[in-house]
This record gives sequence, structure tokens and C-alpha cells, in this order.
Amino acid sequence: MSLDHIVSVTIGGLTVGMIYALIALGYTMVYGVLKFINFAHGEVFTVGGYVAAFTLLAVGVDADSSPLMLAGALVAALAVAVLVPMVLGFVIERIAYRPLRGRSRIIPLLSAIGVSIALQQLIILIFGSKPVTIPTLELSSASVGLFGVRIRVLALVIIAVSALLMVGLTYLVKSTRIGKAMRATSQDMEAAEMMGIDTNRTIAFTFLVGSALAGIGGLLVVMYYGSLKYDAGFLYGLKAFTAAVLGGIGNIPGAVVGAIVLGMTETYGVSVDLGFLAWFVLAGLVLGLYVQMVHVPRQRVGHISPDRRTPEYEQSIVNVYRLTPYHGVRVLMAERTDALLSVSAAHAMRLMMGNVFLAAVAAYMFVNASARIDTRWQPVIAFAVLMVILMFRPSGILGEAITEKV
Amino acid sequence: MTAKTMTRDGRSGLHDALSRLPGWVWWALAIVIAGVFPLLNVAGLVETAWLRVGVISLIFVMLSLGLNIVMGETGLLNLGYIAFFAFGAYTTALLSSPKFGLQWPFLAVLALSALVAMVAGFLISVPTLRLRGDYLAIVTLAFGEIVRLTITNLVPLTNGPNGITGIYPPALSSSADRGAGGLAAWLVIDKPVEYYYLVLVCVIVLAVLLTNLKNSRIGRAWNALREDELAAVSAGITASRAKMLAVVLSAGIAGFAGSLFAYYSNVISPESFLFMQSVIVVCMVVLGGMGSIPGVVIGAIVLQALPQIIRQAAGAARSDFEVYRMLIYGILIVVMVIFRPEGLIPDKIFRYESHEVDPRELERTRQSLFDLEEGEKDLEV
Repeated sequence: MSLDHIVSVTIGGLTVGMIYALIALGYTMVYGVLKFINFAHGEVFTVGGYVAAFTLLAVGVDADSSPLMLAGALVAALAVAVLVPMVLGFVIERIAYRPLRGRSRIIPLLSAIGVSIALQQLIILIFGSKPVTIPTLELSSASVGLFGVRIRVLALVIIAVSALLMVGLTYLVKSTRIGKAMRATSQDMEAAEMMGIDTNRTIAFTFLVGSALAGIGGLLVVMYYGSLKYDAGFLYGLKAFTAAVLGGIGNIPGAVVGAIVLGMTETYGVSVDLGFLAWFVLAGLVLGLYVQMVHVPRQRVGHISPDRRTPEYEQSIVNVYRLTPYHGVRVLMAERTDALLSVSAAHAMRLMMGNVFLAAVAAYMFVNASARIDTRWQPVIAFAVLMVILMFRPSGILGEAITEKV
Repeated sequence: MTAKTMTRDGRSGLHDALSRLPGWVWWALAIVIAGVFPLLNVAGLVETAWLRVGVISLIFVMLSLGLNIVMGETGLLNLGYIAFFAFGAYTTALLSSPKFGLQWPFLAVLALSALVAMVAGFLISVPTLRLRGDYLAIVTLAFGEIVRLTITNLVPLTNGPNGITGIYPPALSSSADRGAGGLAAWLVIDKPVEYYYLVLVCVIVLAVLLTNLKNSRIGRAWNALREDELAAVSAGITASRAKMLAVVLSAGIAGFAGSLFAYYSNVISPESFLFMQSVIVVCMVVLGGMGSIPGVVIGAIVLQALPQIIRQAAGAARSDFEVYRMLIYGILIVVMVIFRPEGLIPDKIFRYESHEVDPRELERTRQSLFDLEEGEKDLEV
């Protein structure tokens, strides 16, 4: 692991992470307000990328067009990449989500899946099933030296633009009238209505902002990779959703943090040796053991009702966590009448299985220290992160900031 | 009894007469139609291609019956259901193909395929069933994709994107006996008609079992969990056990269907286990009616057979046919959940909730329930 390798991988991870963040913000804002997963958001992103690419192609830019023309084309592409997704997001909300408001959680999710499938097929019908490719531009291939590493200027542009947009969004949500309405609606829709907030308008606005950000994300992806496929939105959407959950869904700074963590994990995962990654797994194992041996027992002991609290009983709870499987199995077999003990035993079993799994992974990685994860497995990393975070900490790193009613 | 009293006046006589027919008449009619259809092929009246459509449709009927257990009866949305189908199909392919030179007995492979899928269902349900509805849907989606990507990437075991070819036809007799001719030679299932009847029998048995299960203690526990988990748990249902049973059972059905699919199609590749396939099965359940067994059967047949019939009837296969098909499926889901969430042939509970009852009366009931829930009754007093 040389320094320049670390720098280039970090910049790569940050770039990908920032793009995820742009999409993740749409998921997290809609979730914050409506408590549902806008599954079609990934397709809105694809549409943004497609219309931007076709605008660039229609203007006819190539490697040797004049700077003025290039600038004009980019502005036009940006405008289209913002406006078309905005209209799309607005229409989707109006047609497919609004009639379902107030129904149980999975009904709007089903509708969103329907919209997502339909949109993907529409993209094929309108633009064809071949990936759209834009000509190589000086702008997208230029690079600068940074710490002795060649870094693509576009990567830095993407990081800067995304950071700027996120600052703008934070200002919008925190300090403007409509932002206040959004926060109020997400806290309690009925109460917000009673206070005179037009919640329909606020929700529509949320969709407009989210879709615009996704559209810009689409433009940046097309510029960065030079091409986009009709089904790209599925994977990008899921990864962005993962990022949103990772940071704590409904939480705007959380989405950005989650996206950067995910982008870094993905990029580092496939570009460094297993021996290096193993240290992270080992750190995870130490954390896991701390949770199992110290943190959870302490919490559980606190749950004992005062009239039952004796030192022996406290010790038996702690033992269940520290000395599984022996105590755990004994408790599961013999002492099913004690609810707290048997629940703790089952919980301790799960924790221990997790730790054993981590230890096995770390051992495997140390043994095969010089191997690398093939890039074919890269999507699996994101899905695995999603599963693990949903299983063990569904509230995410920063917690679900604005979703829960008080 | 309630259905009769609640029926509104002014229905046409025919409609009334039809709705008074006992349920078994419809079942008998369906079985007769499904049973006679391949005879037309044997008699040379229809092409074998139609029989293939029939077999695949029946396999999808099985799949949607399985998904209906989790999605319709228990109210857990599973977006990675096709993964269990893949487990079954690959188990069969590995145990009964030249890949590893194995040819295990048909029934053993069938049972083992279902078992492997059930174990996968059990392993995935342990940590995920505590999640709430929408998160569960996404976790299962991620699980489905991980399974598919693993199949694609694990080339030494699965041949990756090329898939496994040359799966042996199911045989109830050993190959040595078959060589001798006679009865043993009859016990090989390798013609479309034979596959059709094999799958049909499986579907009928499955439908009967599931209907009984639905009306049993377990089925009622599932429905109770779907309607209100808190109330169900208070009434003494162990939520985790009941949900796990639903997931494991539905996984087993998918594994079973996957095994039949692998035997039938001879070749399997990751292409057959895309996320879209999971969505298609979800579509079938939504269209037919969540929780309704006849509905789900009809939903699967309509969505699987109808496009193929249109395609056959339209002659040459259009390259963008699949695109239009998925487009219509997508729109269909949206339209169904907005306008007829109870499905084509709704389950009893959904029917009482929506159409057979006077809408005003329903609204009153709903309002009073809602008021109680929100504690607004107290405000009015």
C-alpha cells in the first residue's frame, strides 16, 4: 500500500460516494416526508443521465468543438437533466403515490416498483436498449497531479459540485420557509396541515428537489463514465438507498455520510489486498466482541425489574452473554420459564454467530493476504452492506433523525 | 352466510346464480379444462409449443402460490423470491447432470431441492423477520440479487453465465431397468405431455394442501399477523415462529418448483433468476388477489400464459415484445393497487372490506374503528 495508491483510491471512492449521495438525498427526503421507499427514484436518475447525454449528442459536441460551444452544450444538458426529472418526479407522485397516501407501508412500495418497471421499459422504447455513449471530451479526460498521482479533474468537479449542492440543500431545509414546511410535514402531517401548511404542495416540492438532484447525478455519471445503460438506475438506486439507510433514513447529513462510507467500502474493497482489508474486519470483530461481552450485558442487566434484582441473577444474565454456548444452551433447554434469560440466550447466540462469522472471514483474509476481491463481486459488496446494516442496525449510523413521531 | 345477506339487490339473475355455485364446481371445471387441454395436443389439434406455455404457466402458478403464503397470507413482501427458485433449480442441476457426473433419483432430488431452499429460507428469516414491512422487502431484494450474482460469479460450481446444460430427465426407474424395456421404460418423464401432467398433479395437490392450511390454525395465525401484528401477538400467536414457518414453507415450494423447472427446461442459467422474475411473481399475486388461492392461480395463468398466447397468435416473435410485456406489468401493478387492491378474485376478507358491502356502511365502520384508534371518540363526548 503506497501513498499514491491510497490517494487515488480515496479520490475514486469519494467521487462514487458523492454521486450516490446525490441520489440518496432523494430517497431520504421522500422517506422523511412520506415514510415510504420511492423505488422509482433510480429510474428518475437514469432518465436524467439519458436526456443529458442526448442533449450533448444533439448539440454535436466532440473532442475539438470550441470552448464556447462546449459550455453552451453543458448548460443545456444541465438544464434538461434538471427539468425533465423534475417533471417526471412530480407526475409520478401525482399519479402513482398520492392516491395511496395513508395506506399500509407495502402498498405504495408496490406501486413504486410498478412505476420503476414501467419507466425502465419506457426508456428502452424511447432511447433503445443499447447504452448511450457520449464522445470523449477534453473536459472529461483531463487530469491534474495531486500528491504525485494523476487525478481526473472531473472527479474533483463532481466532489465539489455535490458538496455545493448538499450545502445548498441543507440551507434550503434548515433556513427557508418551504424547508420548515418540509420538516413539519415529516414530523406530523396532520399537525402540519392544522398549522396551515399545504402538505400536498410540500410533498410535491420534495419530489421536485429530489428528482433534480438525481438528474444532476445522472449528468455527472454520464460525463464521468462516458456511457449509461437503461438499467443503470436499478443498481445506482439500490446503492443510494443503501447509503440512505446506512446513514439513517430520513436524515439528510446521514445520507451523505452513508454514501461516502459506501463509496469508500466499495472502492477499497476491490482495490486493496485482502491482508489490508482483514485489519478492518478484525476491528469489526473487536467491536463485536465488545458489544457481546460488555455493552449488551450491561444494557440487559439494566432491564431487570427492581423486585427481582439480585447479584446472582445479574451474574447469570452476564454469564449467558460471556460464556455462550454452554450457558446459552443450558438456559434454552432448562430455564424457558424465565423470559429475560431465554431472550438473552437467543440474542447471545445470534451475537456469537456474528462474531464467529467475522473471525472466520478475518482468518480467511489473513491466510489469503495477497489476493484481491475480483471487481465482479463489487455489486455484492453493496448488497451485503445493505443486508448487514438492515439486520443489525436498521436505524443507521446517525439514526433516523426526523422520521419518528414523538 | 354473511355474503348472502350482504349482497345488494338488483344483481342480474345469471350473476346471482353463478355466485351461488359451490366452490368445488369451479375447481372441478378448472381441473377438467387443465386436464383435457394436453389431450388436444396428443390428438394433433394444437401444437406442442402451447403445451410448453402450459408447463411454464403451471410452474409459475406454483411459484405464486408459494409467494402468496408470505405476501398474501402473512403480509410480508418478498422481493427476492426467485432466489429460492434458483436454489431449487441449481440443486437439481448439480445432482442430476453431467456437470459432476451425478444422477440421483428423481424423487430424492426433488425433495432435496425443496429442502435446500427451505434451509436458505430459514437462514435468511432468522435475522430479517424482525424488520418492518418495507425494510424486509428491500432486504429480500438484496438477498435475491446476492444469490443471483453469486451464481453468476461462482464459475467452478455453476458454470457462471453459461449455466448448466444437459440436465437428465426425471426417471422413476434406474437406467439399467429402462434398458430392459417394459414398464420401467414408461417411468421416464421426457415428453412435454408427461411433464405437463406431472406439474399439473403437483399444482393440484399443492392447491388442496394450501387451501386446507389457510383454513387451519396456522393459516388463521398468519392472517391475524397480517391484519394487526400487535393484536395477534396479544392473542397468543408467536409471531416469529409463525412468520418463519411461512417463509420456510414458501421457500420450499419455490425450491420444488425450481427443481421441476430445471428438469423441464434441461438448461438453467442465471438469466432465469433476475429481479424481474421476482417482480413478475409479485405481479401475479397482486393481480389475482393477495391471500386468495383461486385468485393467485388465475393471476399466474393470465400473466404467464396470456402474453405467450398473444405472442404465438401474433406470429413471429417481436424483439421488443418482452419490453411491452414488462411495461404493461409495471402499469398493471400501479393500476391494481390504486383501483382494485383486493385483486381479480379477492379473498373473503378483502371482499367484505371492499365490494360486497355497501360502501357507506363500510365507511361508517372504518370511521368508527379509526376514531377508536385515534382516540377521537373521547374528544367528541
